[in-house]
Amino acid sequence: MSGYDSALSVFSPDGHVFQVEYALEAVKRGTCAVGVKGADVVILGCEKRNAMKLQDTRITPSKICQVDSHVALAFAGLNADARILIDKARVEAQSHRLTVEDPVSIEYITKHIAGVQQKYTQSGGVRPFGISTLVVGFDPNDSTPRLYQTEPSGIYSAWKSNAIGRSSKTVREFLEKNYQADMDRQATIKLTIKSLLEVVQTGAKNIEIAIMSPGKTIELLDDDIIAKNVEEIEAEKEAEAAEKKKNKPSSSS
Amino acid sequence: MGSRRYDSRTTIFSPEGRLYQVEYALEAISHAGTAIGILASDGIVLAAERKVTSKLLEQDTSAEKMYILNDSTVCAVAGITSDASILVNSARVQAQRYLRTYGQEIPCEQLVRQLSDIKQGYTQHGGLRPFGVSFIYAGWDDERGFQLYQSNPSGNYSGWKATSMGANNTSASTLLKQDFKDDANLEDSCELAIKVLSKTMDNANLSSEKLEFATVGLDTNGKVYHKIWKPSDIDALLKKTGLVKEEEDEDKTD
Amino acid sequence: MDIVLGITTKDAVIIATSKAAVRGISILKVTDDKTRQLSDNSLMAFTGEAGDTVQFAELIQANARLYSMRNGVDLSPTAISNFTRNELANALRSRKPFQVNVLIAGFDKKTNKSSLNWIDYLAANVSLPYAAHGYASYYTLSLLDRHHKKDMNLEEGLELLKACIAELQKRIPFDFKGVYVKIVDKDGVRDLDDIE
Repeated sequence: MSGYDSALSVFSPDGHVFQVEYALEAVKRGTCAVGVKGADVVILGCEKRNAMKLQDTRITPSKICQVDSHVALAFAGLNADARILIDKARVEAQSHRLTVEDPVSIEYITKHIAGVQQKYTQSGGVRPFGISTLVVGFDPNDSTPRLYQTEPSGIYSAWKSNAIGRSSKTVREFLEKNYQADMDRQATIKLTIKSLLEVVQTGAKNIEIAIMSPGKTIELLDDDIIAKNVEEIEAEKEAEAAEKKKNKPSSSS
Repeated sequence: MGSRRYDSRTTIFSPEGRLYQVEYALEAISHAGTAIGILASDGIVLAAERKVTSKLLEQDTSAEKMYILNDSTVCAVAGITSDASILVNSARVQAQRYLRTYGQEIPCEQLVRQLSDIKQGYTQHGGLRPFGVSFIYAGWDDERGFQLYQSNPSGNYSGWKATSMGANNTSASTLLKQDFKDDANLEDSCELAIKVLSKTMDNANLSSEKLEFATVGLDTNGKVYHKIWKPSDIDALLKKTGLVKEEEDEDKTD
Repeated sequence: MDIVLGITTKDAVIIATSKAAVRGISILKVTDDKTRQLSDNSLMAFTGEAGDTVQFAELIQANARLYSMRNGVDLSPTAISNFTRNELANALRSRKPFQVNVLIAGFDKKTNKSSLNWIDYLAANVSLPYAAHGYASYYTLSLLDRHHKKDMNLEEGLELLKACIAELQKRIPFDFKGVYVKIVDKDGVRDLDDIE
């Protein structure tokens, strides 16, 4: 590699690979992304950074991307890094189709993405990718929802539901408490939005939802449907709080 | 190891997960001359402050902050001009390569993305410093009409209705936020641009020597045109807005 | 020996390709589809050296798909044709050129126009109202010259195609086992059942 062959990510005496750990910090600084599996649907939710008044939302790139017609991906971390990594995934997805005449499975493309990320933790003269990704979709001719996560280290793992990025710990705890197996489409959408609302204070206008269903391409949820869901959730929360207040008049929520 | 180790340690994560080299590059840009871009209903205007360092500098040489990338895109730069010209050159090559491959003009966002990808590469691969330059792009394509983008050394880019970069960009964007109107036409937007620059430039004395303008629009046949303004065009605009006189008066009272 | 035919109508393109896969003096298969869909609204029909043809068509297909995924929009049929021409031109000057002739039928949703491009292995790219590759052209171009009208509708186009097929069946000295017919229009690409 053009002379610059000393790896940036090397073990420290106490066994840490600092650059990888620091890359994880970059992920934590990124906006939150959530993935939730339902019975026959898998959903990605994203926190949209507060769009400034003069930003042109029409042409500003989104955090949820399509890798192939049956694979969607959301990321948290450095936007520019994500663009490069996603592009590599897209090339692999099409190259796979070309060589074996089949679309990639979700696990295959996840493994590829993680593999690229790993390579950047061990090759000369490069820093790791400062992003984690959630990869979702359905394998060809299959109706089992898939959800995977990759990390800067190159680790990948399968999840029922997970969150990455800013305050992902809070969101993951919320999901652990509230996740149910085999939710229908609407329940899954609602849980995704509800979990995001744990960290997104500004409500519907800062949330983006994408839905994957078997044999279909990505479907982006309309803003007003998201808004309706947020309203519902907020009404429920209020009712709950009122209920609590009735039971324990002295305690504050 | 030795110097090689030093070389390859340019762009790496800090313990907080930040890329200091990128942030320093951004810092360098915040001292450069202000540049702004405004999206109008019928075009886009780019305007920039040119810092005149010496009276002996030849002023009639062409623009140094505005570059034509292809038949439908111009950009304004802020930062290290020599870095910019490397990127501008590769953007021009990419645009023509696309035209050769597909027989069509490259869509605006793709051109921006390709430049941003180069910038990203320089933040990740060893032995290189990031590009110390931000761009504002003004372009048009038949898919999404007029588009205004901004990219920075990290390789991020985003779309805007009005944006600014360089020195005093915070006050410039406050002014833009105040006065930007969604339905303003190109003419009004040019006036807004000059108004914003007149308030953000350190040197209150506005003149065509210190300003650069570029516009993108559609001609009567619906074909896209771009124009980097001549000093006489800028003088005419200054006269029209009446800002020159006002500023001169203020100067005298100072 | 393959038949590849394209006819544009007012707002659609008809593509017909022979079903027989021929090698030497043998017919190997009677259900050979000599087309690949490149995007929602474009189709490539090919003929030439066996192996090269499918390899090339799928290469273009993969590139067109990759473009769509990267940019969120499909390449227009004219852009795909230009790209295809470029690939052939580069291959031609390489160690191992593709021996492939293709037709690219498309419907451009932006301009609402159908298009048909004829591209040969020497990388000549021409946009035409009707086109054919190989022997089929010897028997059909005269018919098409005489009866093709610029703004004929789909039914008229299919009638003309039937006349062409009848002529081919009458004159060509071997059995090409009928043709697959596909329509490319604003709704995409669809198969037509046997038109005989």
